[in-house]
Amino acid sequence: MTAPLPASPVVAQVTAIEASLLAFVVLTALATALARDVLAAVIVFGAYSLGMAALYTFYRAPDVALTEAAISAGVTTVLLLLTLAKTTRIDHETAFESVNLPAAGAAGFLFAGLLLTMSDIPAIGSPDAPVWSNPDVTQWYLAESYAQTHVENTVMAVLAAFRGFDTFGEAVVVFAGGIAALIVLHREVFA
Amino acid sequence: MSDVVDDTDMTDTASDTAEDSEVNASLDAESDLPPHRAVSRSGRLDSEERQGTPYTESQVIMPTVKIVAPIAFTFGLFITFHGSGSPGGGFQGGAIMAAVVFMIAFAFGIESTRDWLANTVVVALAVGGALVFAGIGLVPVALGGAFLQYDLLPIPILDPVKYGMEGVEILGIAPIVAGVLMGLFFLLARGFNSVGGGLGDGSLDEDESIDESGPLEEDAADAGGDR
Repeated sequence: MTAPLPASPVVAQVTAIEASLLAFVVLTALATALARDVLAAVIVFGAYSLGMAALYTFYRAPDVALTEAAISAGVTTVLLLLTLAKTTRIDHETAFESVNLPAAGAAGFLFAGLLLTMSDIPAIGSPDAPVWSNPDVTQWYLAESYAQTHVENTVMAVLAAFRGFDTFGEAVVVFAGGIAALIVLHREVFA
Repeated sequence: MSDVVDDTDMTDTASDTAEDSEVNASLDAESDLPPHRAVSRSGRLDSEERQGTPYTESQVIMPTVKIVAPIAFTFGLFITFHGSGSPGGGFQGGAIMAAVVFMIAFAFGIESTRDWLANTVVVALAVGGALVFAGIGLVPVALGGAFLQYDLLPIPILDPVKYGMEGVEILGIAPIVAGVLMGLFFLLARGFNSVGGGLGDGSLDEDESIDESGPLEEDAADAGGDR
């Protein structure tokens, strides 16, 4: 049933752009966690999301990148800024929090544990990666989605057709989120 | 029609005084006058000396947004409508279109944007999207099929599978996401009123009471709690 695989995106090694993006993401993540001023943390968090969106684009997940850019970098940042505008801003002498050593130790321990599993993770874009090469899910969707749904974008075919009921649940969750915000804030109108 | 459904929906979930709230909701929507809002906003925010007013009438931001907003909105429409052939879809497109509204609100003031974009529009988007999605799912069930079984949709001429999915993405998910995000934005911009406390009271009264007596003590108490 499995057709011969189309040329899969093999990335032999990390390019300079990827490396700088990865460094940017790690640095902004650290700055978000350590920034003492909440406003600075929110803005750096937006930059982090933008870096992640660019990274997703490089790893050929444009749908995820669009969502990350629109929701995380854009909407979430705006909503957090709006919330901050309602609070008082405290002047800090230092730019960064002092590191909590037990917490840093626990995080480092977890990081080392995750690092141990690195050797078993297939290379990025490897044609042998189970997520790509398995014939029953990924390859089946790639082969069948156009024939069954008449839609070129496989991601949308999976979301709206094959997993349509899940997507309906997600849409209802978004809707319920709006209603929940109304209830929590004691409002009956949005605008 | 979606208006009626929306009001009953909200009274079921959000309010104990079901018989009053529909009247109150419509009163609220009509009594949101720009002068009143402006007074309430500045009264609240001028009391905090560290925090500048969130709205500055900037000669840089306003023309920029005037140029960028149509392009970004068109991009959102493209992402939504072309989701079947290229990356994107209703969720991303709806978020981009809501972000355009955020942008306009930052350039021209949240309160004037709130007045320009009535509550009815926001609610109709969210509720209408949910109803369309559920409707497209339930029509095949009524015809004896499964939920969201697109090939049973009674769409003449066009391909029912493809256009059923387009309908879900364009008329279902995108309006829900856009409406709810805009609603969250306006809700957070107005904030939480601890003075009125209860449900069912018109927000006009609550805002006025805050205006006259509330903000100084309340903000001072909040700030004290924070430190």
